Amino acid sequence: MQKIKTWFYVFLFVVVGSFLHYVLPQHDIVRVTSTDVIRTDFTSLNRLFYAQADSGTAELQTRDLRLINTEKRKTFLLGFIQRESTKVMVYRNEDTGWIWPPYFKFDSSDLQAQAAANISTTDSPQWVVMTHYGWRIKYLSIYPNAIGVRPVDGPDVTVIPWFNIFFFIFLLVGWAFLRAMWRQFRQRTIDPTLEDMSESIGELGDSVSEKRGRIRRWLDTWRSK
Amino acid sequence: MGFVRLIVFGLIGMTAAYFMISIYSRSVRREKLENRWAEKNPDSEDMTARAIYVQEGLAEYEAGFRPKLILLVYIVPTVMVVMIHILTTYY
Repeated sequence: MQKIKTWFYVFLFVVVGSFLHYVLPQHDIVRVTSTDVIRTDFTSLNRLFYAQADSGTAELQTRDLRLINTEKRKTFLLGFIQRESTKVMVYRNEDTGWIWPPYFKFDSSDLQAQAAANISTTDSPQWVVMTHYGWRIKYLSIYPNAIGVRPVDGPDVTVIPWFNIFFFIFLLVGWAFLRAMWRQFRQRTIDPTLEDMSESIGELGDSVSEKRGRIRRWLDTWRSK
Repeated sequence: MGFVRLIVFGLIGMTAAYFMISIYSRSVRREKLENRWAEKNPDSEDMTARAIYVQEGLAEYEAGFRPKLILLVYIVPTVMVVMIHILTTYY
């Protein structure tokens, strides 16, 4: 039983962790090499990893997709440690609109123009901080979605992920709050109700209290040990 | 269409949160009042007086400023959405 529980938590951690890693903003230090527009036909496999058509336009089976081709500084540990080497990276550039994920981005055309304005060569590189979310998975042809481009002086800048810091603090506070709420509800509402029930039907016999004991035991499994 | 959906689901979510937090906050206040009563009257068996004390305390709480703070549940997410939208679209 303990083993199943452990594996369940590991599984939960991996799922939630991947989800957050996909959705939360990250910053790459890149040099824009070109911009592109390709026609895309989505399949049911990779549709999930794309947003919808530009805000205010119709959604069709097939459409154009803006891409930003870059050379990116490699990193260690989720981007916290910079490395000297580079690799190519391609970002898509789509409106997320009012829907998921909640970036409320409507300016993909402007962002494309901004990226194009920062195109540079290896001889005189113009480094930019590319804010994005998502993954590059070559087997499914999916790209991270670019959110913003900010020119910087050199490739060795430190970007503090303020949003993520506040997000995780908020997540912890929210979790603690929900826990406190649940405990209060249990202690003040569920437990007294169960006690009342057992008092009023106590005379009916042991079978009832046996049943109540079972509910109680089930509820006790929710109590942290 | 997406905007309407955002507003509808946002309102549903925020309203659920509002009611849950209101009930929780009231419950915590009630518990505090009960404990305070027990402290002041350690060996009183007068349940009516206790009920009146708690009722009065809760009425005072309802009239005060604190329950109105729970309305922040509506304000904060709305401000966040507007802020994120402005930051991504105009900067």
